[in-house]
Amino acid sequence: MKSEEYLQKKKNLYSWVLSFPTMAWLVFFFLIPYIIIIIYSFLQTDIYDVKAVFSLDAYREVFSVEYLRSFYLSFRLALISTIVCLLLGYPAAYLIARSSEKIKNILLVLIIIPFLTNFIIRIFSWRIFLSPEGILNNLLIYFKFTESPLMLIRNDFAVILVMVYVYLPYMILPLYSNIEKMDFSLLDAAMDLGANKLKAFYKITLPLSKDGILAGSILVFIPALGAYIIPQLVGSQDSLYIGQIITYKIKNIPRNWPLASALSLILLLFISVLLVLFYFLHIKFKEKMVELDEN
Amino acid sequence: MKTKKNKSNIFNITTFTFVIIFLYIPILLLVIYSFNDSKFISSWRGFTFKYYGLLFKNKDIINSFKNTMLIAVLSTIFSTILGLVSALALENKKFKGAKFFQGLIFIPLIMPDILMGVSLALLFSFLKIKMGMLTVLFAHITFCVSYSIIVIQSRLEGFDYNLIDAAMDLGANKRQIFFKIQLPLLMPGIIAAALLTFTLSIDDFMITFFTSGRGFNTLPVYVEGAIRRGTITTINSLSTLMIGLALFFVVISKRIRKYLFNL
Repeated sequence: MKSEEYLQKKKNLYSWVLSFPTMAWLVFFFLIPYIIIIIYSFLQTDIYDVKAVFSLDAYREVFSVEYLRSFYLSFRLALISTIVCLLLGYPAAYLIARSSEKIKNILLVLIIIPFLTNFIIRIFSWRIFLSPEGILNNLLIYFKFTESPLMLIRNDFAVILVMVYVYLPYMILPLYSNIEKMDFSLLDAAMDLGANKLKAFYKITLPLSKDGILAGSILVFIPALGAYIIPQLVGSQDSLYIGQIITYKIKNIPRNWPLASALSLILLLFISVLLVLFYFLHIKFKEKMVELDEN
Repeated sequence: MKTKKNKSNIFNITTFTFVIIFLYIPILLLVIYSFNDSKFISSWRGFTFKYYGLLFKNKDIINSFKNTMLIAVLSTIFSTILGLVSALALENKKFKGAKFFQGLIFIPLIMPDILMGVSLALLFSFLKIKMGMLTVLFAHITFCVSYSIIVIQSRLEGFDYNLIDAAMDLGANKRQIFFKIQLPLLMPGIIAAALLTFTLSIDDFMITFFTSGRGFNTLPVYVEGAIRRGTITTINSLSTLMIGLALFFVVISKRIRKYLFNL
């Protein structure tokens, strides 16, 4: 008995020793940087750096109309692209999940290949496709849909389009792995009991794939909130997203690191609230499932 | 009944086809136009390899390609080792630090890139570390390590501990058990983790953008700069090569897995 306790103690010590390097690494390069962001947000700005003087300037500036608009734009982008990804991704994921083993693999590879192409290049390819002298405009003119080229790029529509394009696989893959595990005999049972296809879908398939929907939505929504490069390459300079503002304030002179820090903290806070919310939704859903099981 | 089933199936197939066309059209056009003998993207002026030749004469591109590979290899090695060691630590279910550690591993996965980029940029400037190769390497290890831990952990979960008991009964010592049983069985997980971190590293733009100095570029950062400056001629051919490389990588990794582990 005593030796078992000793063994467990030794095992725990092992675990501490083994996890120490990574823990220390993440504390130093992941947690401490956030503390520095908090400190910097309370300092005074300098053109290149910060002055070590306490100041609330950054927080006074944060709530100006300009930045609130950027937050709104980013939120809108995240919401719309999540919804569009879900609407396109769900049927696609469903088809993959219900295909035969061989076709399933082919379809999955088809979804994953563009995903492995460099992110910047995928965005750039849309720029070529949509540009005023690009292929789409040439086609539109050729088929007499329009006389002069349309401005398809450098607007919010292009930003949403490319966002959906880049993040669609992030929605499809978790949805697929969720739907694949689903017990489809439940559907047959419901239909034997007289439910029509639509009703069976709303009452059974959709609730059962809630976890996949939540996971996919998080994977699209959160990166979309912090988007920088997509609005930078295909968006308009008249509507700046929050990721662009933060990047400009860090990189472009005159810099304003305290302001960038304060904006980052607000973004972080918003995401944290969202994640906590998601977490409770998830827990609540699990409880509900257990209740259903017991009944 | 049958027609209804077909109807919803047709809807799914239509959406899927649309998704595939949507995913592939811009990339295909980019590849086709990389062979276009025209400075501008608008018109087709005949087939050429000219820009591929220019590509290999461009020192900036060659340099940033080398940098990308160097960073990817180093960060893959470091984060896979850290990942393996951490996954082994977390195998102990009674480990008191596990909850904190798991949280520390999970949170970087969901945070947007920009926040990690900004926070690391401020850290390095606070510590007065000059931005360059080292800062990029540190940053890449930081965002890769969580992925490698999770991939290796998922492999450990299916581990059959009876094998260890059996080996112990047969008189194997701890070192033998680790190197002869645990490590070989974990190999597919370790390789999957390494492949994933390697792809993540060569693909990263945002975090590298914040942590690289003026003299040190990786390929994605170079490409973004070239697009911004409008020096567009070689970008199409460069992109095509990168797409080709990615495809090659997919095939190779599948072959390796098939060959070594029958997966």
